[in-house]
Amino acid sequence: MALNILVVEDSSVMRAIIIKTLRLSQLPLGDVHEANNGQEALKVLDGNWIDLVLVDINMPVMDGEEMINRLRQNPATADLPVIVVSTEGSETRKEALMQKGAGFVHKPFTPERLRDAILGSLGGLDEQKAGDGTL
Amino acid sequence: MSKKLETELYKAATLTFEELGFLLPTPEIDEQQLNAQVEAAVSVEFEGPFSGKLLVRVCGGLLPVIAANMLGEEDEPSKSLQYDALGEIANVICGNMLPGIAGSKDVFHVRAPKMDESMDLPLPVAEVQVGLGMGRADLLLFVTRYPALMEE
Repeated sequence: MALNILVVEDSSVMRAIIIKTLRLSQLPLGDVHEANNGQEALKVLDGNWIDLVLVDINMPVMDGEEMINRLRQNPATADLPVIVVSTEGSETRKEALMQKGAGFVHKPFTPERLRDAILGSLGGLDEQKAGDGTL
Repeated sequence: MSKKLETELYKAATLTFEELGFLLPTPEIDEQQLNAQVEAAVSVEFEGPFSGKLLVRVCGGLLPVIAANMLGEEDEPSKSLQYDALGEIANVICGNMLPGIAGSKDVFHVRAPKMDESMDLPLPVAEVQVGLGMGRADLLLFVTRYPALMEE
């Protein structure tokens, strides 16, 4: 199974870093889509099959929290795995995001931390096979 | 100026330059670093229990180096990517600094980074310099609402 991943982040440099990290992670990657903000992301989700969303919180137009709220309200995306990749340091806000079923990776992150969060979020993935790139 | 604010700002800055910019801060700032010319500045505004902005200036040829390091490229990235990279550095420093100052319960809204060529700056509540290679980064924290923090 190849994973189609959507990276939602307003910094093009940070998007590139996340995508490079994904490619080095040995996860079985399919298509990697990009969006500048939550609103663009919802349009991408409308027209593509996505297995996992990596999303920043503080973005113009529509922030990550609002985007997650919209996903959870839509039956088609209510259970979509989401990982927040953010500088957010407030435990209050992190707990609120986790209650919405989102994982969390704090910036700056190491490739290992991002990969572990993805494996944790997808739950059913066999870590060993993913590590071998054979999944 | 508060020593605590400067300590938190310095900690967040060195962590970010090391882990995101792959630049090792020098223990002291030498004369060459001190005399390096400012090449770019970005700021990040935040709102929460106290509000303000963090200004990050880089000097001495650091701007293209930061972007190239972050992207893992040998060639010099475009100017727009260089500013984007510096903006992300400022964003990450700000996000890591705020819980150190305010505690982990308070919620802040951090705005998108923007280029900041302001010349007429108010007095910062904290200011630190970080030596990086042959250049340096200046970090200035301004607080516009929360007088108690300015008096700490």
